[in-house]
Amino acid sequence: MKILLAEDDFVTRKSMTSFLSKYGECDVTVDGMEAVDAFMMALEDEEPYDLVCLDIMMPVMDGYQALMGIRNLEKERNIPKEKAAKIIMTTALNEEKNVKMAFELGCTIYSGKPIDQERFEQALKKLGLI
Amino acid sequence: MAEDFSIQGMLDMYLFENGQLLERLQEIVLEQKDEECFDEDSINEIFRTMHTIKGSSGVMMFDEITKISHKLEDVFFYLRESKPDNVPHLELVEHVLEVADFITAEMEKIQNGESADGDATEKVAAIDKFLNAIKNGEGEKTKDIKENVHEEPQQFYIAPMATSASRFYKIYLTFHPDVMLANVHAYKIVYSLKEIAEDLLHYPEDIISDEGSADEILENGFKILLQAQCSEEELKGLIKEGYELKKVDIYECTAKEFQQGFDSFGTEIRIDLESSVEEIQAKAEGIQPGEMYIAPASQPAAQEKQKIAPGDFVIESKEPGKGKKLAKDKPKKQEKAAFISVDVHKMDMLMDLIGELVIAESVVLQNPDLKIPGLRLDNFNKAAGQMTKISTDLQNVIMSMRMVPLTNTFQKMNRIVFDVSRKLGKDIEFEMVGEHTEVDKNIIEHISDPLMHLVRNAVDHGIETIEEREKAGKTEKGKVTLSAKTESGKVWISVKDNGRGLNREKIIAKARKQGLLDYMKPDSEYADKEVYQFITLPGFSTNEKVTEYSGRGVGMDVVVSNLQSIGGSLEIESTPGQGSVMNLKIPLTLAIIDGIVMEVGKSSFVIETGMVKEFVGMRENRLIKNPSGEEFVMIRGEGYPVLRIGERYQIDGYQADAEDGMLVLVEVEDQTICLLVDRLIGKQEIVVKPIPDYIKKVKGLSGCTQLGDGSIALILDAVGLIE
Amino acid sequence: MSVQDTQQDKYVTFKSGNEYFGLKIQYVNEIIVFQEITQIPESEDYIKGLINLRGKIIPVIDVRIRFRQEPIEYNDRTCIIVINVKDTVVGLIVEKIAEVVEIKNENILSTPTVGNDEKCQNKYVYGVGKVGDGVKLLLDPELLLKDDDLAMLELASKDTMEEGE
Repeated sequence: MKILLAEDDFVTRKSMTSFLSKYGECDVTVDGMEAVDAFMMALEDEEPYDLVCLDIMMPVMDGYQALMGIRNLEKERNIPKEKAAKIIMTTALNEEKNVKMAFELGCTIYSGKPIDQERFEQALKKLGLI
Repeated sequence: MAEDFSIQGMLDMYLFENGQLLERLQEIVLEQKDEECFDEDSINEIFRTMHTIKGSSGVMMFDEITKISHKLEDVFFYLRESKPDNVPHLELVEHVLEVADFITAEMEKIQNGESADGDATEKVAAIDKFLNAIKNGEGEKTKDIKENVHEEPQQFYIAPMATSASRFYKIYLTFHPDVMLANVHAYKIVYSLKEIAEDLLHYPEDIISDEGSADEILENGFKILLQAQCSEEELKGLIKEGYELKKVDIYECTAKEFQQGFDSFGTEIRIDLESSVEEIQAKAEGIQPGEMYIAPASQPAAQEKQKIAPGDFVIESKEPGKGKKLAKDKPKKQEKAAFISVDVHKMDMLMDLIGELVIAESVVLQNPDLKIPGLRLDNFNKAAGQMTKISTDLQNVIMSMRMVPLTNTFQKMNRIVFDVSRKLGKDIEFEMVGEHTEVDKNIIEHISDPLMHLVRNAVDHGIETIEEREKAGKTEKGKVTLSAKTESGKVWISVKDNGRGLNREKIIAKARKQGLLDYMKPDSEYADKEVYQFITLPGFSTNEKVTEYSGRGVGMDVVVSNLQSIGGSLEIESTPGQGSVMNLKIPLTLAIIDGIVMEVGKSSFVIETGMVKEFVGMRENRLIKNPSGEEFVMIRGEGYPVLRIGERYQIDGYQADAEDGMLVLVEVEDQTICLLVDRLIGKQEIVVKPIPDYIKKVKGLSGCTQLGDGSIALILDAVGLIE
Repeated sequence: MSVQDTQQDKYVTFKSGNEYFGLKIQYVNEIIVFQEITQIPESEDYIKGLINLRGKIIPVIDVRIRFRQEPIEYNDRTCIIVINVKDTVVGLIVEKIAEVVEIKNENILSTPTVGNDEKCQNKYVYGVGKVGDGVKLLLDPELLLKDDDLAMLELASKDTMEEGE
């Protein structure tokens, strides 16, 4: 499985990478813009990401904007829902309005930080990713 | 209402919303349990409820809850579409309640941070069987009914892990004034904390490149906000006072305070004292336990829902130690909230402090320094009066904050009546009166169990079976009535049943057998009230059969001692053949009472002012002794029994022969007795403190308190003295 | 070395009658001078009453009376050792306080089971610690506080309950 990670904090980046590498090959970006760019590149190379992991609070472009960007890219290429990437938002923000907006914009999983690894795996299973 | 909770997390929202839905569900079911079947509106409402719970539980990935609500949703979908008339109603009611119970239990586990590990498989299978039975009963018709379509959730929410294990600290460091490069020292400390920190913020923020920060640190100290799993001790080990650090202050705080950032290093919750006490009390109705209503000084024009949009969360620049500052400047000040959730611990602390304040007040007002003769205390007294007024108002507001309506407790009883009567095959109605009466939160916790026991007794032993009632010619249904009201500073709660009443002969026979009666006094001389009180003694149960619900004789005495621990009492009334009433009397304000301080020998005693009818000096010897040695006193032609406190309690320094003394007339219900004490000291407000558990309970003493001069006084309980 | 280690093996000792007794320091909250006691009616003879310790009201017991020794007059040497046993806070009135000593486990002998307990205090002593030339009798605070009558009462009520049902 190809995984894309966007996380601006060094320490968190390290722990997320080691956590996610269990499931597949993991590419790392440090802000929202880089993430969208990376996603675009993967699409062009015809090796799209299966799983994208976005932090919400990031420089240049936040997680929501990146989410929108990625979903728009997929829409433009008419990628069907089943083939669309599964997007996970990770953040310490837990308020209902944050979650609602994320879901409305098309995120698949919203996980609070610190990440409950067991539940995370459970969700990936439910989505058929592992 | 949902907007008010937007500050809480997703999980709390989920628990809260479903909690409300389940409560409403239980209400509907209990309302309609006696009907033939559920009406259309109820079916729709129950369907929607289960659909909602299924949906949200699916997103949160609580699989068992999802499964069971899914199944029940199917049942009600079928009922809604095909409207069958062969539905066994009571069985359906039971299934619904079972589902509600299961989900409630799982949600409690989740709330406590445990995993929702319940297994719903069996229950789901049972409901499935039930549904199939109905469908088969309808035969051909079912073929045309469309199947309930379920959408599998495609989006999931994962709650952050171990939020309970994460602790939050405010650390305040003071450096020695002559330390050079304090900012570098500060950086070293921050670096050493990074190992264990889940999140860390500090102020001043730029300690690496801004040399001016060193001065700022020396002047105002270095502040750190830390989220970590370690304990305070471990932290203290990491940050040590030494030759650079003059002082290290570490406070544990809440996640909220942590998120408020450095503004919270000094803020307090504002209490608006301009609203009168009555206003605040009135507004306090209908608030969930633990919440506090603060009247805003000025009404906000319109409650603006804080909207968010993509792009709000872009970070300006990431610098170490800086809190993630958002480009869009989000105001740190919170919008004026009408409700605030308050940690219950803090409420308790507030109560304790108010108690300490009352004691400290009396230490000041009764200070021996003031007793110097010739002092002109007019200004002082005026100021003292003002202070007393404020402290009384403060007490009242704080008491009102802790008041919670009895509704939930009473509702629980509704369920119990239903369950127990069902299991025993009795048909019993449940009535609630005055369930909106408010009592102190502490009281609710202590009366829940006693009430449950009394209600169970009423259903199990009080109300007869249907046949017995017919035989006795009783036409009305068995009924249990729970009522509550407040009067003269006490809350009166009663459990009434229209059953068979208590059997006086049996009770008094058993009491005699157990040697509890005065062998000189014939049975007939015992008043009904006295006889019924015997059932509250430990080990006393006249039931031949011990059932699962009651009869073991361990209940009633525990009920009474639970009540006594909050200063309450139990009174029993009964009419054979017609029913019984259990009356609970509980003082509203637990901790602080108005008392009269008295001296006997070297000891001080206090009695609640409300119990005292009057004082009579013992100058002339008015005491009369009757043949059995009991003493009486004649006052205005009436004789009252006299109780010598000194003798009753064998007090040091008590002189039996003293002609001087004070008679305190005390009235309890319809009985009046005179307490003989040495002298009266005065009237004061006292804080009731329990006598330490280590000391065995003494009859007639309900607590102790600290007087203005630091000495300890014992609090007399008139009811206990009269017995 | 953590704080726990340094507290291990330390005992607060006091004199009562002709013997010296020791209490594990973990149980001791503080030692205060004797202060006025408020009598509690209907309590056991060894429970002298209540004292006010900075706003907290705690019960105090007289150790001599507990050991069934002749009670003596309280003087300015009398102290109160405030102990905390499983969240029960009680003050012990002792006639004379002695120093805090360290007694390693190897220097503690368990008390020989004597046939008849002439000295009532042996009920509460679980071991004898050697210190220098002398010994200190080591007390178990739980036993010291526990009510002898309570144990008997528990037995008695069990009988009446079976009867009464």
